[in-house]
Amino acid sequence: MADELRPHVRHDVPPNDTTVVVRGGPDTADKLARHAVRTNRAYQLDGQPFWGVSVFLALDDLGDASLDGLLSGRLRTYRVVHTPTLEQVRAAGFEVLPTFRPPHFTLVVPDATPTTFERLLSALGPGVPNPYHERGRRR
Amino acid sequence: MAVMVDITADLNDEDETGLVWTFLDEARDPTVIVPGAIVVAGDADAPAVVEVVDVVSKEAGDVVHLRILPGNIEDYAALVRRTLSAA
Repeated sequence: MADELRPHVRHDVPPNDTTVVVRGGPDTADKLARHAVRTNRAYQLDGQPFWGVSVFLALDDLGDASLDGLLSGRLRTYRVVHTPTLEQVRAAGFEVLPTFRPPHFTLVVPDATPTTFERLLSALGPGVPNPYHERGRRR
Repeated sequence: MAVMVDITADLNDEDETGLVWTFLDEARDPTVIVPGAIVVAGDADAPAVVEVVDVVSKEAGDVVHLRILPGNIEDYAALVRRTLSAA
């Protein structure tokens, strides 16, 4: 049985719609589906099946939870990242749940159909280069 | 460079430990996924060198916690080429 996610849901002040959502990529609809299914296997929400995909939100202007802090820190191994605004993600119909430690959030995927994952991929927008990706200079 | 990861993971995934997590049965060879092991996790598009922190048994399966190490996989490949070829 999957663990209950609810105890790990925070009660943050809802972020502004202009907040940037950051996710290491590049993503495809199939990849998003695999990750959401993994989350579904691990967690349920309020006793119900749950699908979700992890993201980070650039909550601060400076530090680890800023956009630069995320790209140069947690996501430094990613060559490509997706950086939609929260407004774009919400407008596409995806709720953003504050989970575990900030600035981690989970995009709630309402169902595990291919159409939904295509819609999520579209909401995440195109992958862009991570300017902080470590490029293997130390040879 | 084609990369075949040791264990598939979404490196965006973190849980209450603050570490990346995935399931042990997503490893190519689960016997190499032991605490302290240095392995490659993620997927072919976004691999990372990680340390296996622990393996926790849960009802849904054995969960592996991973700590992402500094540098990228090409750095580690260059390290191995440089040091082993000099021996």
